[in-house]
Amino acid sequence: MPTYKDMVQPVRATENDMKKIHIDPTPDDQKCDKALQYLDEMRKKFRSFVTAMESCVKCGACAENCHTYLGTKDPNNIPTNRAELIRKIYKRYFTLEGRWFGKLVGAEDISLDVIEQWYSYFYQCSECRRCARSCPFGIDTCEVTFVGRQILHWLGIVPKLHASVGAAMEKVGNHTNLPKPGLVDTLEFLADDILEEFGVEMTFPVDKPNSDILYIPSSADFLLNEYTLKGAGLFFSYIGANWTIPSIVAEAGNFGYLFDQRFTQRHNVMRLLDAAQNLGVKKIVWGECGHGWRAAKMYIPTMADRPVPWPITHIHDEVAYYINTNQLKLDPTKNSKPVTLHDPCNYARACDLQENLRTVMKASVVDFREMTPNKDWTFCCGGGSGILFDDPEMYQRRIQLSAKKAELVRATGVGADGNGILCAPCSICKAQLYPMVEEHKLGVEVKGLIDLVGKALVWK
Amino acid sequence: MSYFIMQIMPYITLVVFTFGVLFRLGRWAGSRIVHNITLAPFPQRNSQVLGIFAAEAIFFRSLFSSDRTLWVGAWLMHIALFSVIGGHIVGIYTLGEEFIYLGLSSDLSKEMSALLGVTFGILMLAALVYLLIRRFTITKVKAVTGPSDYLMLILLLAIVTIGDIMRVFEHQFGIDYAPVKDFVAHLIMLKPLPLDHLALTTPFFVLHIFFVQILLMLFPFSKLMHVFGMFANRWIINRVYKEPAPGLPNVDIAAARQAGIGVPSGEGGV
Ligand code: HEM
Ligand code: SF4
Ligand code: SF4
Ligand code: SF4
Repeated sequence: MPTYKDMVQPVRATENDMKKIHIDPTPDDQKCDKALQYLDEMRKKFRSFVTAMESCVKCGACAENCHTYLGTKDPNNIPTNRAELIRKIYKRYFTLEGRWFGKLVGAEDISLDVIEQWYSYFYQCSECRRCARSCPFGIDTCEVTFVGRQILHWLGIVPKLHASVGAAMEKVGNHTNLPKPGLVDTLEFLADDILEEFGVEMTFPVDKPNSDILYIPSSADFLLNEYTLKGAGLFFSYIGANWTIPSIVAEAGNFGYLFDQRFTQRHNVMRLLDAAQNLGVKKIVWGECGHGWRAAKMYIPTMADRPVPWPITHIHDEVAYYINTNQLKLDPTKNSKPVTLHDPCNYARACDLQENLRTVMKASVVDFREMTPNKDWTFCCGGGSGILFDDPEMYQRRIQLSAKKAELVRATGVGADGNGILCAPCSICKAQLYPMVEEHKLGVEVKGLIDLVGKALVWK
Repeated sequence: MSYFIMQIMPYITLVVFTFGVLFRLGRWAGSRIVHNITLAPFPQRNSQVLGIFAAEAIFFRSLFSSDRTLWVGAWLMHIALFSVIGGHIVGIYTLGEEFIYLGLSSDLSKEMSALLGVTFGILMLAALVYLLIRRFTITKVKAVTGPSDYLMLILLLAIVTIGDIMRVFEHQFGIDYAPVKDFVAHLIMLKPLPLDHLALTTPFFVLHIFFVQILLMLFPFSKLMHVFGMFANRWIINRVYKEPAPGLPNVDIAAARQAGIGVPSGEGGV
């Protein structure tokens, strides 16, 4: 199944999966008409999409700045060609030149094959925006991917992974389907661990009324990145914060942002606002999740249907602030292995977090080595936008999509002796990189950044 | 034929160009900036935003970092293009005596004007050829190029080549500034020229003007809209963003450490 006419495609959500996220899939004979109708709606709404459609000069500068083209050499993975998959339809139906000159200007009639192309290539884009950074005009192909995925969602074409995460978000409020008892159990277990390993006595408050701070962890931290959760817990305890984790939205990520920037994304936002209101908090602090932080910082203001009185910051904004004001005592020698930092693209290109990450890093480790390129020119890990598919075909693609990052990690030399650390302070980056550092034999262990802070804190 | 190209077509061109561009820009304006998609690092002041716009428009700064070989050709081509356009306007208006204002004699100014014109004309030709070769030879560029992309470059090459020929072989094919100024003035005043006017009887000049008008009419319906597109795009992705203040409510780290929070009792603080 996961190929269609030589294109790789993620495993699809079934009709039943789609119903759980409130979509009745469109029958094949209506798909083309519906797709045009949705496209018309999107183009009238999003200027970022329209300018991407109408001002590209086909210079090709974006090509080798996209890890998907570098890794696969598939011409449709060149950002402007990815956009062209929609642009050719856009031109044909919504521009004069496309209607008059057709093929000459690259216009094409819509067909089911084109829709299948969208499904394949918009789910190879990691929405990392390196194309926007490199384009002389700042054309943001990520915006085109958003539009493509939104139309596909309305047609009923969504990867099984994304659809099931969307359903879990609505059911329990997090991506990994963890109900409250599961959350509480895990946190108690982690607190015991912390006492044993760090000699620190603390608890992870859940749903504690009248807290000052609402901490939003990534739900993957409960299962896969325990040191990230421990690090955050240690930090909040160290500073004596009155904090809590909300069980109705124990999720820093927001998969809605990745395939349905309407109901699914907004639903998670409203859960957050409910939690903040009910627990009476004064500030919301976000955990390590790249797309989730972008969705929170940049989209909540325009997504929320009511006023948002709580300031929202990232945990590394706060850690960096306390480091800059000399209020944290950190002992970098507790992290003595060589470390390099993978700038999650969503932090470094969409949220302006890159400098704070460095402040925190430099105070927490002894041997920090920069990767080049980095910061706003960072290359994506290849898993961005949740393309963490594990069927064999897509898994092979993931290895290709992470090839560029692997090359850059190797160039830093941190893994030369097999004991390096690749710090990737984003849940999806971690999920992608855990297997990928093995596939590419990089000799590094993947860690979050707050993990390193937690370890370096000096308690007495 | 030459009468149509030189006396009627210009008005059609003007209308198509103006309404075409307005139509396109109007469509862009009709859509909205729905979410905040500012690109980091975030500018903190409008002066920084202006700096980004200027660096991108004048130096193609992003392109310089992302694709150096393209930058060389594209930047040279645009610099030459702007110089040539500027030269046309000033040269024709002052009849090549623009450098009198810099203290040159009238004759010297005309020579200077001609020399600069040739230089930038040839430079632009070279840059355009470079860009065209690039489209034929580099795999990734070939992969993004369609028929209209080749045609656009060829059209530009035609305009520039004819212009250069008129410059280099001035006496056989060229035309002086005076009749050109006459031609422009008559167009503006809506007055027809006599049929035997030099502007209507110099074949290369007529051809030059013909292709320029084709280009201008294609402008609103082609990628040449990138001229406005760049600013429209950057207006979306380069804007001021103010961060919320860091610092957590009711947190006093010194007091917390003093109290020995987290340190198991018995070994705690002071
Ligand atoms: C504002 C900043 C501008 C930037 C950053 C920019 C950038 C570019 C780039 C990267 C190309 C692609 C070269 C290629 O095709 O390989 C291009 C082509 C071109 N630009 Fe610009 N441009 C700008 C403004 C302008 C302006 C103001 C004009 C005209 C008055 C102009 C006219 C052209 C033309 C005629 C082409 C050739 C199109 C072609 O390749 O087919 N540009 N520009
Ligand atoms: S860099 Fe920008 S203008 Fe050039 S091909 Fe890519 S999207 Fe188009
Ligand atoms: S957003 Fe990233 S993955 Fe997608 S086209 Fe742009 S550079 Fe490539
Ligand atoms: S997964 Fe990480 S590197 Fe990749 S897009 Fe998200 S933030 Fe970027």
